[in-house]
Amino acid sequence: MPDTVGTDFRHRDAERRVLGTLEFVLDHKVEGMVHAKAVRSPLPHARVVAVHTEDALAMPGVIAVLTGQDLTANPDIDPCFGKPRADQPVLAIDKVRYAGDPVAIVVAETEHQAWEALPYVDVEYDELPYVVDAVQAARPGAPVVHDDRPDNNVATWRLRHGDCDSAMAKADRVYSDTYYSPPASHVPMEPMVCVAQWSEGQLEVWTSAQAPHAVRQGLEKVFGLPAGHARVHTLNVGGGYGAKGQVKIEPMVGFASLAVGRPVRMELSRDEVFQTIGKHATTVELTTGVMNDGTFVARRMHVNYNAGAYAVTSVVGAGQGLTRANGPYAIPNVAIDTVATYTNTVPCGPFRGAMTSQLAFAYESQIDDIARDLQMDPLALRRKNLLRETDVYPTGETLHDLHYDELLDDLAAAIDWTAPPAPAEPGRARGKGLGIIIKNTLTPSRSEAVVRLEADGTLRIFSSSVEMGQGANPTLAQIAADRLGVPVDRVALGFPDTAVTPFDTTTSSSRTTFSMGAAISSAAEDLQARLTALADELHGLGGMQLNHDDGQVTPAGRPEVRIAWTDLLEKAGLTELEGHGVFQTDYGITLMDPLDVKGPVSVHWHQGAAAAEVEVDLETGKVDVLRMHASCYAGRVVSPLRVEQQNQGCAVFGLGPTLFEELHYQDGTLSNPNLSDYMIPSIVDVPATITSTALESDDPQAELHGVGEMALPAVSPAVSNAIFAATGARITTLPLTPERVLQAIEEASTARGRTELGAQR
Amino acid sequence: MTQLEEETPQLEAAFTLNGDAQVTSVRVDETLLEALRERAGITSVRGTCGIGVCGTCTVLLDGRPVSSCITLAAQVNGRQVTTAEGLAGADNQLSPVQEAFVRRGAYQCSFCIPAMTLAVHAALNDPEAGRDVGTVREYLAGNLCRCGTYPQILQAVTDLVSSAPDHDKDGENTR
Repeated sequence: MPDTVGTDFRHRDAERRVLGTLEFVLDHKVEGMVHAKAVRSPLPHARVVAVHTEDALAMPGVIAVLTGQDLTANPDIDPCFGKPRADQPVLAIDKVRYAGDPVAIVVAETEHQAWEALPYVDVEYDELPYVVDAVQAARPGAPVVHDDRPDNNVATWRLRHGDCDSAMAKADRVYSDTYYSPPASHVPMEPMVCVAQWSEGQLEVWTSAQAPHAVRQGLEKVFGLPAGHARVHTLNVGGGYGAKGQVKIEPMVGFASLAVGRPVRMELSRDEVFQTIGKHATTVELTTGVMNDGTFVARRMHVNYNAGAYAVTSVVGAGQGLTRANGPYAIPNVAIDTVATYTNTVPCGPFRGAMTSQLAFAYESQIDDIARDLQMDPLALRRKNLLRETDVYPTGETLHDLHYDELLDDLAAAIDWTAPPAPAEPGRARGKGLGIIIKNTLTPSRSEAVVRLEADGTLRIFSSSVEMGQGANPTLAQIAADRLGVPVDRVALGFPDTAVTPFDTTTSSSRTTFSMGAAISSAAEDLQARLTALADELHGLGGMQLNHDDGQVTPAGRPEVRIAWTDLLEKAGLTELEGHGVFQTDYGITLMDPLDVKGPVSVHWHQGAAAAEVEVDLETGKVDVLRMHASCYAGRVVSPLRVEQQNQGCAVFGLGPTLFEELHYQDGTLSNPNLSDYMIPSIVDVPATITSTALESDDPQAELHGVGEMALPAVSPAVSNAIFAATGARITTLPLTPERVLQAIEEASTARGRTELGAQR
Repeated sequence: MTQLEEETPQLEAAFTLNGDAQVTSVRVDETLLEALRERAGITSVRGTCGIGVCGTCTVLLDGRPVSSCITLAAQVNGRQVTTAEGLAGADNQLSPVQEAFVRRGAYQCSFCIPAMTLAVHAALNDPEAGRDVGTVREYLAGNLCRCGTYPQILQAVTDLVSSAPDHDKDGENTR
């Protein structure tokens, strides 16, 4: 049996993907279904004085208008969701905390009728002072978003390693800078969309979500249901990138369905998608102590993540950021603090390259400034300080399986690092830049899988990993085929349905190939063990070593004896046989004291890198990215095409927040929640040369590493460093718009002028 | 009252959809996107931005790409509307453009892909456009893919422009 891992087994539904006949939740219809739309707050912070529903109820087709009072009137309902902090009401109860907060739900026979009735819901508000910026929100006296959190603090995490203060005092040079990444939006092309129906006290939903079991648990908590009494289906998801990682609109739709006694569908309009979840705006204060030879001796960081109005994943997310902030460098004395802060803005969650892009923009920008100051090559300075095998990370854990030297070699080769860029036209300048990052993967977490042999020889995988374009389904099918030793054509794998596909924490954090891959491998082993036992029992092969190959059992040394698995089933009178597998990690930051993080925080460490070559128009400040290279350590590559797509996808996706993506707030309200004023990269933004490398281990049993977001956090600093190399302009605020580039070029040239003037004196 | 029949005034829309005559009553403010999805059961045409800038709702109107989210259903009277389903032949026989996308794995979440194939098809069949990758790339500037599958899409386009013009075999339903 040829190895399946390492080949490009394609989506079995490729033709339907291209034709447009593959079903999304967007297409899903249920008999008797009616339609819901949310009334959302136009104000960033206000008391809800009254909600008048009469006029809306009188509109054609309107069945019900539901408010926070209806929610709290039902004693079975826990009105708030969110894990670990349940701070987000299904509908505003006494106040709204951001512009876009749902206040009421209109349910009507048609979507159009619900839409038409929305403006007839009259909400009386009493405005409150609001705060948009997280640094201001963390100061005493700032408007309070949640009364039980008077300091607006969502979470505080602390990491100490060595003696940062005294090492900093002894450093030859100290570099201190502040970096800012603005809020941004995931923009999955398929909006959040959900259909819910109740039957005999049980709730069934179809939703475009990345974590079906997390949604199930969230719904069970809100509606007071025993485990298993909510059932969640996800189909092929039209893009997630972190936006669909937790409970979103499902409680609203479930509540509407409960209230009207009919199936209810809700599809968000694009402005609502922008108002539902965003990327954390982040301020990073970074101080690095360096010796004259370039050795990093101390690093101090303070990171403030703007969580928005509700915690969503920010409690744990700020902790994940804590463990990634140091960067892939061996620094003996480190003090890192991360906080997440409530503000009156759109709630934030993980954004492809979660919590890490903002950090990498800081530490990978500053290292190039240090290199320039020390007159060192930026790549050589990185190499001098790299984390290497058996180095101790600031968490206290000893790291293994590190490949940063190879990643730097790869970047250098791909971007022709030692050669100067080709000369640019007059008025333009070219430069090259690079970035490398380290990222833990969600730990602790759990994946369960079932592999079922059916009478016709089909091997059916039951997994709750979500297919959202990353290729989870064909990749997991390849892993199953490889482990079972059967052609991948015999493996079947559908979409999650929590009533039949077992628990999985979530499809995010680049964990699926590794964690679900391990669970499926273990289920495959379990199935083979059961088949071995059957063969033993039915064919009296006791004591012989039995091998499995191509769906058959063969005793060692007796190649002529081949017993088909399906014959074993038949002989045993079985129609199917299942193997079960679990992969679980039971350590990590969520089990630690947030103020004293120590010990292993990740099952393994993700390593990503990017390099860029840019051309800057010195008159307009416009940046053209000529070349991008994205690289990661993959352990073993399951599908070369899909790894390339993930790496290139990271490069393309990453160029958006690097060059132009930014959410703007005006008077506390999003002013650009649409794809005309918030632009994402199009095909004409793709660099002329875009390349990808996935490093593999020499060990054929090496752990698989997820690759979905590894290169992404390195994109912004790589591009910014290329601009710096080209022009001497250092920009500490994203995105790198022409205005900012131009201003930085002018500042750099003024500073140079001053230096030259000083030298003349 | 069916799904879309409401008190809003109705108009008759008579057009050809993927070669078949359609006569249907639509609301005066009903978009072509809504009519195709809710009345004609077409799933390949999808709304994303709602303002005609992202391209996922692209259809061909007499062979030219338009955003169906900002086209009124009543505006297409007497015209030919083609969706990805219509680009394919009988029994979903893939068109050369669709085949090139499948061959190159030019899809990830695939939400935008059917519309993308229509835009490529239109570019390759535009008699006023050059049949080269650069031209097709410009044509695709209004079709967004958040997964970033553009490199594979460009590979598919490169395959197509380097093969013989395929007006006859690929343009059947759109001329």
